Amino acid sequence: MGSVNMKEMYPKNGHVILHVDMNSFYASVEMAYDPALKGKPLAIAGNPEERRGIIVTCSYEARKFGVKTTMPLWEAKKLCPDLIIMRPNFDRYRTASSVMFDILRQYSELVEPVSIDEGYVDITDSYPYGSPIEIAKSVQERILDQLDLPCSIGVAPNKFLAKMASDMKKPMGITILRKRDVPIVLWPLDAEEMHGVGKKTAEKLNTIGIKTIGELANAEEMQLKALLGINGIRLKERANGNDKRTVDPDSVYDFKSIGNSTTLPRDVSNQRELYEIIGKLAGQVAARMRRKKVVAANIGITIRYKDRKTITRSKKLLNTVRNEKEISVAARELFGKHWNGDSVRLLGVTATDLLVEDSAVKQLDLFSYEEDAKKEPLHNTMSKLREKYGTNIIESAGGYLNQQTKPGNDTSFNKDFLHQKKQRDHLEKKQKD
Amino acid sequence: MKFIIQRDHLLQSVQDVMKAVTSRTTIPILTGIKIVATEEGVTLTGSDSDISIESFIPKEEDGTEIVEIRKPGAIVLQARFFSDIVKKLPTDIVEIEVENHLQTVIRSGKSEFNLNGLDAEEYPHLPQISEENMFSVPTDLLKALIRQTVFAVSTSETRPILTGVNWKVENSELTCIATDSHRLALRKARLASENTGTYNVVIPGKSLTELSKILDDTSDVIDIVITENQVLFKAKHLLFFSRLLEGNYPDTGRLIPNESKTEIVTLTKEFLQAVDRASLLAREGRNNVVKLSTFDGGVIEVSSNTPEIGKVIEEIQSQSIEGEELKISFSAKYMMDALKALEGTEIQVSFTGAMRPFVIRPLHDDSILQLILPVRTY
Repeated sequence: MGSVNMKEMYPKNGHVILHVDMNSFYASVEMAYDPALKGKPLAIAGNPEERRGIIVTCSYEARKFGVKTTMPLWEAKKLCPDLIIMRPNFDRYRTASSVMFDILRQYSELVEPVSIDEGYVDITDSYPYGSPIEIAKSVQERILDQLDLPCSIGVAPNKFLAKMASDMKKPMGITILRKRDVPIVLWPLDAEEMHGVGKKTAEKLNTIGIKTIGELANAEEMQLKALLGINGIRLKERANGNDKRTVDPDSVYDFKSIGNSTTLPRDVSNQRELYEIIGKLAGQVAARMRRKKVVAANIGITIRYKDRKTITRSKKLLNTVRNEKEISVAARELFGKHWNGDSVRLLGVTATDLLVEDSAVKQLDLFSYEEDAKKEPLHNTMSKLREKYGTNIIESAGGYLNQQTKPGNDTSFNKDFLHQKKQRDHLEKKQKD
Repeated sequence: MKFIIQRDHLLQSVQDVMKAVTSRTTIPILTGIKIVATEEGVTLTGSDSDISIESFIPKEEDGTEIVEIRKPGAIVLQARFFSDIVKKLPTDIVEIEVENHLQTVIRSGKSEFNLNGLDAEEYPHLPQISEENMFSVPTDLLKALIRQTVFAVSTSETRPILTGVNWKVENSELTCIATDSHRLALRKARLASENTGTYNVVIPGKSLTELSKILDDTSDVIDIVITENQVLFKAKHLLFFSRLLEGNYPDTGRLIPNESKTEIVTLTKEFLQAVDRASLLAREGRNNVVKLSTFDGGVIEVSSNTPEIGKVIEEIQSQSIEGEELKISFSAKYMMDALKALEGTEIQVSFTGAMRPFVIRPLHDDSILQLILPVRTY
């Protein structure tokens, strides 16, 4: 296959995005593990022994009987008496998921996992591997060959259309959705069918007479904004087939740790001096975490002694940490516990179990909650603003500090200068828009 | 020493005192069980120096002979071996005899064990407790008091005092409080006896858990003696000693809110099951956090969202919602622990804001409350 030819199969301007969606993922993984389950109605549920368990996911065979996700077990059993019920094996699902994403990365570096069982791939520059449809077929076949798992793939010029497309044919479908297809394919559908429109939003749209995606695409902007805030404008854009979001391989779902270490100019055995260095490293880690907008649930340290013997120790924390002080307290505590008193050549501080700031939580303490409660009115105002104008409208000033710090000479466990560049580009783009 | 004893009585006593025996002790003889035979019966003792348990098997009960004492005496036998032996003996009758040099023979049916014993004289003495100040609680109530509070003690040694349950006696009322600083359980009970004295002590959570395991659900009374550093629980044929924790328990009274901005009344079981379902996916994530939102018309929404796995939403029709609209997140585990500890079909939950502790009580019952600190979401 000549790559010059293939290039002609790609748009001259614009992108080609795949959305890969695994079909009833948990159930399919179980079937791949135990082929005897194939073709049988299978459901994964919490607490199968208890009547009150609910269905987490189920096979297509079970769906034929009307079994649905979140249905209580007893109800599912009534609809389908032969239903096989299994407990979830999350380790299996995670393994299958990581192999699946590895396969996707063989076609393009631009792979963005969205959840355990779906992700976007930007194949705009992947013409050496074939035309978009050939790549989609090849991805689907390889996932089936290597993992024995079915998936549906949407091929489109942006994320939204790719997501809508992958939903159209299940299981094992490949659907191409071009922008020019939007009025014919998407507009007749109910607004609720649209990705990003939930039950509540659909109900609200209904109150202004919008029932289909087409009606949303042609709705009056002022009215939408009054009804749904900034999100209303965004939904209208999508309904017209427009979506400017890029495929971001650095989305947090994927990265695992942020760490900084430093080789000391000379071997040091003075505890106070070592504590100071840990404090500095904690500051660097905190700054990088702030840039990525994550918090950590686990803090680790690395100690290399002058005889090159190296130990790493880490500790899971009850509450996530984010700032220099919290990280340095945890790291110093670990150091105090595990340092044998010998001269140290290298020190490292690593944050793992990273979570996006928004999804992180803090368990409040009976003896200190007042401090958090004091900030509650501010917190409320911020979440109201976010609801009205979108997530990025307001952030605490901390997020903007230290963005200009240059990467120093210290070894970085995680090459996030790429990420930094991307964020700069992103900011510039934002200003242009 | 020589006696013949019914195996099931011996086994029960061995299993009771075993609750205090640990293999990790700095005093080697405490890995053993002390057995003392007198004309009145047989006494077994186990101890880990924090907890000591003494179980007495009388010579006869209700006219039936349980033990036949051939020769009084005492011995200490390795607890692990002795309890396994007693468990597996072939017949209902056991003969135990100490021969010379602490050699102990255990016979049952056609089987015979020879076990090396230790000198009972070297076994530490149990604390001497004068029984001047004493109050009594029915066994079933005592077990409820323990069950409803002890789960909330801290498992971390960061603040050792919080690993215990605070027992306060004042004006013939007993108040038990436990907190790990993220949730708090409180239970009060009126004491039948007058002049019970005034106490404020902290009993290790582990001691209460072990005590509760030994006691049967009866209405027999347990006498409780509290001294400066020990507490003694006296049941029929059973003495349970525990060390008290040193230090001052934090004053939790002022930490329990007595006003509220939002009040919910709902069915306990329905609410518990909804939280359980909502936590089904959250449990697998890091935090096990569920979110509660109130809506008009008495609707409560319980939900959780674990991005890498999925989300759950469930609506419950409450009996009533009064006050401000509320969105609050909390640990599903703490909520389920609290709801399981409460008795009563309906509960009242009083909130004072999304970042302040909230209180759960059975409707129309002030003797028990569970307090939970929410989690802050960003």
